[in-house]
Amino acid sequence: MAVEITEANYNEVVAQSDKLVMIDFWAEWCGPCRMVAPIVAELATEYEGKAVIGKCDVDENSEIAVKFSIRNIPTLLFVKNGEVVDKLVGAVPKAKIVEKLDAYL
Amino acid sequence: MITLADIQQHHEFDNFELLAQQIVEGFITGLHRSPFHGFSVEFAEHRLYNSGESTKHIDWKLFAKTDKLFVKRYEEETNLRCRIVIDTSSSMLFPFGNSSIYNKLGFSLYSAAALIYLLRKQRDAVGLSLFNNGVYVHTDAKLSATHAHMLYKQLYTTLQESYSSESFKQNTSLAQSLHQIAETTHTRSLIIIFSDFFENTNYEDVFAALQHCKYNKHEVLVFHVTEPNHEEQFAFENRPLKITDMETGEIIKIQPETVRNTFKANVESIVQSIAHMCTQYQIDYIKADINQGFSHVLLNYLIKRNKLM
Repeated sequence: MAVEITEANYNEVVAQSDKLVMIDFWAEWCGPCRMVAPIVAELATEYEGKAVIGKCDVDENSEIAVKFSIRNIPTLLFVKNGEVVDKLVGAVPKAKIVEKLDAYL
Repeated sequence: MITLADIQQHHEFDNFELLAQQIVEGFITGLHRSPFHGFSVEFAEHRLYNSGESTKHIDWKLFAKTDKLFVKRYEEETNLRCRIVIDTSSSMLFPFGNSSIYNKLGFSLYSAAALIYLLRKQRDAVGLSLFNNGVYVHTDAKLSATHAHMLYKQLYTTLQESYSSESFKQNTSLAQSLHQIAETTHTRSLIIIFSDFFENTNYEDVFAALQHCKYNKHEVLVFHVTEPNHEEQFAFENRPLKITDMETGEIIKIQPETVRNTFKANVESIVQSIAHMCTQYQIDYIKADINQGFSHVLLNYLIKRNKLM
């Protein structure tokens, strides 16, 4: 399962992580986010130990969304050593996400 | 999987569109996907509404439920322009028998119909060119339903006309026709060629014409339509035979066994040189056996399209 990223655990899971972190910004009411969710769940299992795969509900954690200037959802953000290295906006196929993950691992 | 033999049973049935639909949906079901998934424009993301922007795309249902103003964004429509080019010279009427469908031309026309159907589903504009010793049909590439109907009608007429005696002794000017098509097609189009590569002139000219297509920034996909049993293996009965050149009418008398090995070797070297040349110019070369189903053609088209995206 993907890690739930909240304002409370943000520092521990994202900022201080020495691994690549992928954050899926989503909301419950957003159709395309629901299309991406199963892919993110699969990736969380496949990349366990290699990368941190997390998801962040923008309604409940608006501070994180503002911090990363998230204006579109779903957005997948790739963070390495606390810095954003890449992002994918919109519902994208799994192959594209895997390609990005592998590039930054 | 639908093959030419299946369609042969319904040859009196003139609805190309319906047959094309059967081929495509049968093929897509074979891929274990829903036939309608992924082809239409898809809702891809929600974006925050910026004040001053058009209100046309606001997700009002979401606003009613949550008081949030978001705009729906859709996946971009693709604007691939595709031109299907079919060789209708007399050699394409091989194997010539009782059925007017079961030949290379029939296979090419039905493959084209299926491709047109698939292209329209993907919202790509499609145009058609037919040639024998010159290009005689060259339509614009359009997306509309009327245009597609016209193309199906054109394919059907071509199939009907192939019964007539006038369709014989039509020779091939592949090189000249390809030069003309390369010039008159909108740049950066995908050109799909169906031909048996029985050409009167030197093959060097054909290679130059294909290079011309690439030079004009077209992507090229070549389907070399063959009937391998006779055209490659020369599997004729071993008795004295009269063989007629369908394009020139020239007749020669031969004993198949005596020429088989030379024939096979020559055909193989020509096919190899075509394939080699295509690789050199980054043209996708696919052999299309008319005894196999259409799925081979559709699959290779989809692979090519995937590469273009």
